[in-house]
Amino acid sequence: MIKTPVCDLVGIEYPIFQGGMAWISDGTLAAAVSNGGGLGIISAMNADAEYLRGEINKARELTGGKKPFGVNIMLASPFADEVAQVAADEKVPVITTGAGNPSKYIEMWLKSGAKVMPLVASVAMAKLLSRTGVSAIIAEGGESGGHVGELTTMVLIPQVCDVTDLPVIAAGGIADGRGVAAAFMLGAQGVQLGTRFLAAEECSVHRNYKDKILKATDISTTTTGKRLGHPVRSLKTPFIRAYAKAEYDSSISNEELEAMGAGSLRLAAVEGDAEKGTFLAGQIAGMVNKEQSAAEMIKEIFTEAEVILRGANQWVK
Amino acid sequence: MIFKKMAEIIAEHIGGDAAEITENTTFEELGVDSLDTVEMVMKLEEELDVELELEGKFDTVGDLAKFIESKLA
Repeated sequence: MIKTPVCDLVGIEYPIFQGGMAWISDGTLAAAVSNGGGLGIISAMNADAEYLRGEINKARELTGGKKPFGVNIMLASPFADEVAQVAADEKVPVITTGAGNPSKYIEMWLKSGAKVMPLVASVAMAKLLSRTGVSAIIAEGGESGGHVGELTTMVLIPQVCDVTDLPVIAAGGIADGRGVAAAFMLGAQGVQLGTRFLAAEECSVHRNYKDKILKATDISTTTTGKRLGHPVRSLKTPFIRAYAKAEYDSSISNEELEAMGAGSLRLAAVEGDAEKGTFLAGQIAGMVNKEQSAAEMIKEIFTEAEVILRGANQWVK
Repeated sequence: MIFKKMAEIIAEHIGGDAAEITENTTFEELGVDSLDTVEMVMKLEEELDVELELEGKFDTVGDLAKFIESKLA
């Protein structure tokens, strides 16, 4: 069995979080992960308060109100203020944040009794947020899908661990027991996985999206969006190749570029549109090859991690 | 003065000349992103031996300097 302080902090069996993926991480997926012994997280994405409240209720219903779960607040969302309020009003047990600095909401969330865990992609952000009363730091390397920073998980995790006394949860590039064991060796006390859970039976993302993840190889993803200052990792599809070309084309304005990508994530996740969709995925997609229930995934990952961590001793002479 | 200190830290961070940074210089012009900004503010904290709460976004170096001054006041 693998137990870390993160398990006690959140009240979960395995120190694993399911990342808040826009258009994908709904109440159903979050509940499946929480029922499987991890921490399921609902993505508040760019949606409004009503949407989030609905998904929170769904997760509560599906877990019988007995399991903790989280909500991810995307700080760049136009509805950030109202969904931040909903998370507090609904007394969501864990609140994670992405795409920015959550400082202005932290006091309200702590008052609501939530454990707050911001996602960081640099050492300075980890330092800054560690003293705001948050419970843990999620450090995400650029191997992950969606919005990404430059640093890799391998480089980021030990440096973040060096500047904070809080538990660190490693994210980006982890999909199996080997990744979990490696993250622990770097100093993390928990992991957050996104791409692997795309293949969960309880994940309601469009069939085409799932199939693309299952078929992906090690070189299937790329990052685009650097020109607009928001690099994003996704599968290399004809649309993404065309977009990447457009980024280098100075005759195309930033506004045109922005318009080209608008709404493409919804098209991928909801419509399964292989032509115009953006299929966000981590580099690890090449290792996600089978559909399973979320509970089976978690069990398999930690059984494997346990064997590896015990075996690590063999090299110490 | 915070602005001067800030300009020195930025110049060192980007490998430029502090004299070329004015209060109206934007972070975008300097090619500095939000993560760079946080790192520089943390550096400033160390040098001034204070803790600053960083909220919101700042477009120009002057804006950030003014914000920090108000926090120190």
